[in-house]
Amino acid sequence: MELDAFRASLDSWLDEHSDELAPAFEGAGTLDQQMAQLAKVKRLAYDAGFIRWGWPEHVGGLGGSPLLRGYLGEALTARALVDPGGYSMVEVLAPTMIDYASVELAAEMVPRLLRGDEMWCQGFSEPGTGSNLASLACRAERGDDGWHVTGQKVWTSFAQFAQRCVLLTRTGLPDSAHRGITAMFVDMDSPGITVRPLGTMHGGEEFCEVFFDDVVVPFERTLGEEGQGWSIAMDLLPFERSTSLWHRGAFLNRRLESLLEAAPPGALSGAEVGDVFLQLFALRARSRATQYRMAAGERLGPETSVDKILLATAEQALFDLVPAALGDDVLLADDAGGEQWRSQYLYSRAATIYGGSGEIQRNIVARRLLDLGADA
Amino acid sequence: MDPEELALFRESLRQATANHTGKALDDALDELGWRDALTADRRAAVSALFDLQGRANATSSALDWVMAGALGVHGPVVLPPLGSWEQPRQRGLATFAFANRAPDGVVVTPVSGIDPALGMVEVTGDLGASASDAWPDTVAAGQLALAHELVGASRTMLQLARDHAVERVQFGRPIAAFQAVRHRLAESLVAIEAADAALGAAWEVGSPQTAAMAKAVAGRNARTVARHCQQVLAGIGFTTEHPFHRYLRRVLVLDALLGDTRALTQQLGDELLSRRRLPPLLPL
Repeated sequence: MELDAFRASLDSWLDEHSDELAPAFEGAGTLDQQMAQLAKVKRLAYDAGFIRWGWPEHVGGLGGSPLLRGYLGEALTARALVDPGGYSMVEVLAPTMIDYASVELAAEMVPRLLRGDEMWCQGFSEPGTGSNLASLACRAERGDDGWHVTGQKVWTSFAQFAQRCVLLTRTGLPDSAHRGITAMFVDMDSPGITVRPLGTMHGGEEFCEVFFDDVVVPFERTLGEEGQGWSIAMDLLPFERSTSLWHRGAFLNRRLESLLEAAPPGALSGAEVGDVFLQLFALRARSRATQYRMAAGERLGPETSVDKILLATAEQALFDLVPAALGDDVLLADDAGGEQWRSQYLYSRAATIYGGSGEIQRNIVARRLLDLGADA
Repeated sequence: MDPEELALFRESLRQATANHTGKALDDALDELGWRDALTADRRAAVSALFDLQGRANATSSALDWVMAGALGVHGPVVLPPLGSWEQPRQRGLATFAFANRAPDGVVVTPVSGIDPALGMVEVTGDLGASASDAWPDTVAAGQLALAHELVGASRTMLQLARDHAVERVQFGRPIAAFQAVRHRLAESLVAIEAADAALGAAWEVGSPQTAAMAKAVAGRNARTVARHCQQVLAGIGFTTEHPFHRYLRRVLVLDALLGDTRALTQQLGDELLSRRRLPPLLPL
């Protein structure tokens, strides 16, 4: 299937099924409502075949270019059918499973994620391990029946909704840094797992703490080899900065348009609106080039940090306009529209913090792209 | 051009821009057939030459040919005065080559200003230009060329600052080891890659609006790069012994030609506000 044919057939399917696909709630909805909506849209898109394009046939896909995935997520986001955050887990975690899980495990599990039967989460950060991922301490020890995992993760998005977790553990000595990390695929209903959602300033309890108390994970759930976890994580992170960024960029364009519609006359200046749209244009151009590099089979790496920096900067610049332009709605109103702007404004404050902070992204650019050598 | 031809073409342009400027560069471009290339593959010819011209801080009258081609005329094209992108009638700016081809009754005055090496001239008199339907495309063609030149100049500024940062030792280590310095250089590279990507998109879409947007991004980001790189270059970059100042001068003038960032951004924003919707987005 070529991109143009896919675009035409998807667009007409979305038009024809717009009632069925539409959310049953107004505004952003609660996190539970968003998850139900995401599962519904994925299920419909799976049954119609669209969400299977761009994935290999051995994991339930229909083959074809990853560009098809790029367009699907863009179209769903631009039509406000899914929130790009929850939808991104497919783009981030399915490639890891395809590359590092056993063929049988990937074939069994990936279709459940695509079809919306399951939600997955990503257990990377820990209380003592934010930017310095190689310092993680969540321990996994060999037992007769599998790995025994004990420790804590934090900032685990959607863990309370997730059936599975791609988890990074310490299997080497405590000071083995990036060498002693092993990735595994964990069932979230395993005995010994406790999930505690964190209240956050933007409202939805998206981020969680996850506690592991002697949780048994079968050895066949190991992703890659023992000790290969660091390179798995390094391969996964560029996926956070490629197709999912394209989708998030589509979301930002949609919200800029909503802002143009909602702002009272005179509330926005041409200079500031023009500047934000230029930033979104440059982001979209950059991210588009990344989609094409990925589609050509190029291995993505540190250059995707440029995409993330552009996204975070543009997202904050866009939402910086909101409180002043929609003051009453954002600051005072309690209706769904006001709540949505408020929540999205507050969430945008984290764009330079999550997924590798702005400082870490710039460190990567300095070290890997500008070859500035080690830092002080 | 296939990739191999393009690489050879680019290498000969690199040598021409590195070794010549002004009239001598015009002659070198004639010799290597750049104008034929402009007719055969406009994007390849414009993007390669103007990027390299920007990198080398060289100047030529190639902008005349780019704009004349778009306007469908044979003589050189007079640019609007700074701050405007309307077709000039009485007063405008032109490259140094205009002096030899100026029609009777048109007064040509050399401009020195902040960037004397650019060799621009001020033109006054009856420019005889009747409003042309091709003018928006002419402006767009010029804006793309200028944007490439801004990106090229930005790349050299970053190269100069990067080389300085890894060589200059203070407190017993290269200043490139300090995060404050690293982040300025990283910010510069991000700005350059953003402008470069915007330019690629503008070529693909091919509309006057996207050309203006790419020019606005390139101008704004070149100033960002100049600001960070000048700070990293510090004392040496403030002297005329170092080439940085020539790039800062060039960037300021290139940004101002055919609409500066501020004016283009304002125009874009005003249009969005009046329509209350976004134009069609760059398709995947």
